[in-house]
Order: sequence, then C-alpha cells, then structure tokens
Amino acid sequence: MLKLFEHEHLDVKRLSDEETAIEVRNLSLQFSDKPVLNDISMRIPKHRITALIGQSGCGKSTLISCFNRMNDLISGCRYQGEIILGGRDINHKKENVSRLRTQVGMVFQRPNPFPLSIYENVCYGLRLQGVNGRRQLDDTVEQALVDAALWDEVKDRLFESAQVLSGGQQQRLVIARALALKPDILLLDEPTSALDPLTTLYIEELMAGLKKRCSIIIVTHNMQQAARVSDYTAFLHQGRLIEYSDSDSLFTMPHKKQTEDYITGRYG
Amino acid sequence: MSRFSPSHWFSSVQKQSFAISFSAFMALLLTIALGCLLLIIVSRGATYFWPATIFKGEFRLSDESAPVKAYMQIRNEFSRSGSEVIWFKYSNRDFPYGNQAMLEATQISGLQAADDGALITLTDGRTVLAEPLSLQSAEREERALEDYSLMQEEVQRITNQIEVIRTERLSDIHQQLSELDMRNVAADAPARIRLSRDFNKWQGLISELEIQRNQYRLTVAFADGERFDLALGDIDEIVRSGRLSYWQKWQATLTAIGRFLTEAPKQANTAGGVFPALFGTVLMVFVMTLIVTPFGVMAAVYLSEYAPNNALTSVIRISVSNMAGVPSIVYGVFGLGFFVYAVGGNIDTLFFSHKLPAPTMGTPGLFWASLTMAILTLPVVIVATEEGLRRVPEGLKAGSYALGATKAETVMRTILPIASPGIMTGVILAIARAAGEVAPLMLVGAVKFAPNLPIDGEFPYLHLDRQFMHLGVLIYDGAFHSQTDVKGSSMMFATCLLLLLVVFILNLLAVVMRMRLRKKYQQG
Repeated sequence: MLKLFEHEHLDVKRLSDEETAIEVRNLSLQFSDKPVLNDISMRIPKHRITALIGQSGCGKSTLISCFNRMNDLISGCRYQGEIILGGRDINHKKENVSRLRTQVGMVFQRPNPFPLSIYENVCYGLRLQGVNGRRQLDDTVEQALVDAALWDEVKDRLFESAQVLSGGQQQRLVIARALALKPDILLLDEPTSALDPLTTLYIEELMAGLKKRCSIIIVTHNMQQAARVSDYTAFLHQGRLIEYSDSDSLFTMPHKKQTEDYITGRYG
Repeated sequence: MSRFSPSHWFSSVQKQSFAISFSAFMALLLTIALGCLLLIIVSRGATYFWPATIFKGEFRLSDESAPVKAYMQIRNEFSRSGSEVIWFKYSNRDFPYGNQAMLEATQISGLQAADDGALITLTDGRTVLAEPLSLQSAEREERALEDYSLMQEEVQRITNQIEVIRTERLSDIHQQLSELDMRNVAADAPARIRLSRDFNKWQGLISELEIQRNQYRLTVAFADGERFDLALGDIDEIVRSGRLSYWQKWQATLTAIGRFLTEAPKQANTAGGVFPALFGTVLMVFVMTLIVTPFGVMAAVYLSEYAPNNALTSVIRISVSNMAGVPSIVYGVFGLGFFVYAVGGNIDTLFFSHKLPAPTMGTPGLFWASLTMAILTLPVVIVATEEGLRRVPEGLKAGSYALGATKAETVMRTILPIASPGIMTGVILAIARAAGEVAPLMLVGAVKFAPNLPIDGEFPYLHLDRQFMHLGVLIYDGAFHSQTDVKGSSMMFATCLLLLLVVFILNLLAVVMRMRLRKKYQQG
C-alpha cells in the first residue's frame, strides 16, 4: 500500500504543468449577507485528486458545492465571480444546472441511497436522462458498480433494497450512482467521515483508481487522509484560500504560518 | 389541626401515584365507554337478524277496553318508576300487519312462548304474527301446510309467466305505441288499433294469471282463533322461531344478514335490506378519494416544496387548518349553493339548455356530494401529506438534485414515493370522516330513497348526476322511525353496525396499503 503511494509521488508535480479541469476566478459567496467565501481563485487539475482542508465552517463544503451549484438550493445564497468548466462560466444564469450536475457528480457525507433497489439506485440519473433501454441500463449499471468496486458484492442481489447494504457499501453505491452518468468531475464531501477505518481505506483505494476516469475534489477533516490520497491540497481559512500546492510540499513544508498551525494541530 | 389541611393529605409520592391511578382510571373509563357503545350497537344490531321468540299473551290496552289476545314479539323490557314495562309488537284482527304497545308487565297475563306462532314476512316488508293453519290451492281444495314449498313453486311459475309477458310482449308494444304517438300520423290509425288490441289481450292474460295466482292462499289464525287469509304470492317467508333449533336459528340469522346486505329497503326504510345505501356510501367515498387525493397532495407539495416562506403562505396554512374546524353542515350549504346551484346551474344553461327547466347537473347528485366531501376532507389530506413530506430526509433530496434531477423530477421520483405512507394516513382519515358524515350529504345528493343505483348497464354506466342512498341517511331516517316503529329501530342499529363495519373495512384497506408502502420505502 505504502509503495503504491510512494510510486505515485515520484512523478514530480507542479500545479502549473497540469491540465485544468475547473478554474475559479475571484469567487465570493454570501449566505444572507454573511460572507462565506472571499475572493477565491484557484485551478483544479484534471485527473488528479484535489483535497480541500480547513476548520469547520471555513467554507470548504460551500466551495465544493459551487462546482455543481448545489448552493442554489439554499435560500439567501448569493455569489459573484466565475467558475470556468469546459470552457464556460457555470455561474452564468443561463447555465443548464441539471446538465451541469450530470457532468459534476457529488457524494455526500452520509450515504444517501434512495429507498429503491440497488439496480434502480444506479439507474436513477440515467432514467432522468431518458435512458430506458434494458440493455443499455444493464451495461451501465454493471460498469458503474465495477468501477465503484461493489459489483462482486451485489451482483446476485441487484433487485434487493439498497437499505440492507452496510454503510461502506451504501457509500460505494452512491459513488456508483454518480459514476453511471460518466461525470468529468467527482465531488466528495467528507465521504468517509461516517464510516469505520477499514471501509475508509477501501474508499480511499477506490478514489486512487477513479482518478483515471475523472478529476476528483474531496473535502476532508482527516489530514492523514488528505496526505494519503490527494495530489494537491488547498487550505482554506475563514473563507479565504490560504495555501494551495501539491500535497507533499503542503504537508511537509507549508509556507504560511496558518497552514502550519492547522496541520500540526495547533488549532482546528 | 394541620393533619387535616389538604396539603398534608398526600405526600409527593402519593400525589404522583394518585395522578397515575387517576390517568389509569380515566383510560379505563374511556375504554368502558367505547366498549358499551360497541356492545349496544352490536347487540341491538345483531338482534335484528336473530329470529325473535314469539309469545302468546292477553292484555288490555286501556282499563276500559276489552282484553286482547295476541301473538307478540318483545322489543324491549325495562323498568320505569319501579314497575317493569314491556314494549312489544303484536298482530290481531284489528291490526293484522302489526301494531306496537308499551305496557306494564302486570297488565299482560298468560305470557308464554308459543311455538305454533309464526312470523310471516310479506314481499312488501310488512309482517304478520299468527299461526299458519292451512293452504288453499287454485282448485279451492284444502292442502296441508307441508305442501307450502310445492305450492309456492306453482305460484312462482305463474309469476314468471307474468314477468315474461311483461318484458317480452308488453314493453315491445308499449314502445311501438309511443313511437306512433311521436309521429302522430293519421295513417297509423289501423296499426294503432291493432297494437292496442294486442296490448289489451296480453293485459287480460296477465289479469287472469294474477287472479289464478291469488287463489293460492294461506289461512292463518290469530291468538284468539280469528281466521285471516293471505295470498301466497305476497308471502316472502314464514319463520316459526319456536320450532327452530339453535343451529337453524343461526342459519336463519345468516340468511337474514345476506338478504340485508343484498336487498333494497321496503316499507319506507323500516324493513328489507340496505344494499343501495351500502353501495352509495362506498361509491361516494371512492369518488371522493379519487378527487381529494390528487388535489390534497398537489396543495401540500406546493405548500411545503414550492411556496415561498412569506406571509401569504402562512395565511394559506392557517386557512387550511381552520377549514378542518368548519362545521360540516356549512360545507353542505356551500356545496348546495356553489356546486349545485352555481356550477351545476351554469353547466345546464351552457350544455343542457334543451332540457331546461328540468335540471341535469343543477340538482343534487353523487358527483356534487363527492366533491363537497372532498372539500370537507381536503385539510386532513393536506396536513397529513405535509407531515409526510417533512419526514423526507434532506440528504435524499440533495442526492436526487446532485444526479441532475429538476425540482419536479425530485418531487415525482423521490419525495412523493417516500411521503406516500403519510399521504395514505391522510386518505385514511379522510375516508373515516367522509363515510360518517350525514348532514352535508342530505343537502347535496343523498336521499332517503333512490329508485336507481348510480351504476347500471345503461350508458354511461356510472351516473354521477344521480341521487344516491347513504347508510348515514338511512340511520338518520331510522332514528326518527324508531320512536313509532319497532322494526325500524332495530334496523337502525343494524345499519349503524354495518356503517361501522364499512368504515372499519375501508380503513383496514388503506392501512394495509400504507403498511406495504412503508415496507417498500422504508428508511435506514
């Protein structure tokens, strides 16, 4: 396990060399006039895992929700600035939010499978797209479950309720549900905080494999996790982006005092 | 002295245990009250079907009148100011089809069960209490009582003949005649005469057959030996309860229940069955459910998912809650004034003006009744559905949105299925409320007697504009009869029992559906 990560860390990473998946330009956001994000600009690299760390309430979950405009569901939320994704500004009011969300998948802190069968859970997004062909659904469901490393465990009970799965299985099912739509970007909002350590490890391995398929952005409270799985890490503090670099440098020799205080556990 | 002041009567522990035992006492009291209610309805209702014992006795209706000897059935026994009073029904020469009296037990002498007495029920619902003596055939010869079923078969054969002539011949001629009347052409006169002659011929045959049928007769004797004659064709059944074994009584009871459920009322709703009312009640509740569920659910979804959180929404919410408290008769008046007169009246002027002044939709009917009940139960459905919608976890909604679902898609595919048990709870409450309402229904479509069922074989099969009968109205009607009529009162209790059963079964259906939905969309 350790070797795998060491090997990955060998190819030297510089943010400026990476292709861009998302570019954030001067993003600010307020919840009913209370500023949450303050003038954030960053580039999220393609086919890499980017971790967002910071104290509770620093705005990292809000930032990740900007990438698929989930903040629109919160009344009193306003934002300024641009988020460039696939050559367009997704903050533009003409953006088709439903289509955006099929391109940018999201997995939440608590596993939230629908009270449907395993199969129907994975189909949910496809059926919304109007895909109803049995063959196509079957293929996509299998592929998504294989990608989410769940296929072997559920292939004999696809039509049983998703509620009988364990927490870790449910979380992988939710990942499979997002993968079924073949998203370019996968947002993970503290995906393992409700899971036990072994399951957490399993999901982390899964993420490393998924990187080839899509760019991953993960919010985490667990600094070891960020160091283990991510290629790049951004540290947010009180709605500002304090430091953003490859994970090795950030965790071994942070440039800013606040970052050092946070990762050494002096606050937060 | 302080020992006797109230604050020292109980220690705090005692006070607490007093509160608990008081609550237990109240709970017990309520259970007993419910039990008594059920006991009265079940026992009184069930006695309507049980073959009652027939007594023979002698009494004076007043001190001056002559003593009367009669077969009687006891309706109720109770004590009034210390003396026992018997409320009974009897038949004699003066009242062959029954009369009732309420006398003190001391005024009745020689009261004893008489197993020769029979309760003879006529096809029109009237009853005679007497002893069957002998039968008379068409050839005027006396036959033994044992031949009753044989002779009843002969009578039935004649009845069938009459029916065949009526349906196959007379109605045909009648139709042809009315067609000629419509044309009103002088050249039709010979045809008209021929048809009239045919009509008279068949009519004459029917009269002959009826006379023949009336020659089959049953002779009965009242308790004082006085003879009385009944046409066999008029007799529905003869029950000699004194000669029935215990099991035969049960058999008779089950038959009576079956007939009660499948036959139409007779004698102004004091005898016979309640089928049209049962049918009307269930159909009205069914149509109401079909109307109230979509509207209630849509309103609740709007209020809880779409409506902005402002003053107008609060006003709507408060209005919905207040609607639940409006007396039901007000809904009845609203239904009559708005649906029947305003909406129905305008439909008539727009679409059925050729039939005016006879109203088509502008008159009370099943649809208006269902619509009125739907308005009445709307708040119940809205409140219960909103409760169900509130229980849908935010995480599931977010999960749906995150997969690219729009708000409408999330509502249809995730929120409503998960809230469906809550919706069913609302529907259950609505059914329970609607099935029990009487007052508003009497204004908008329920009647004491409706000649036709709202569903029949005639296009368009479901006649939503027809007036209908309702169990509640029948009970209401029976309750008024109960002051003067013995049988009507027992029928009221039996109908009451049936209404309870209907509500119970409808609720049970909805509860089972809710359990299945809960199982299907169970959380966590």
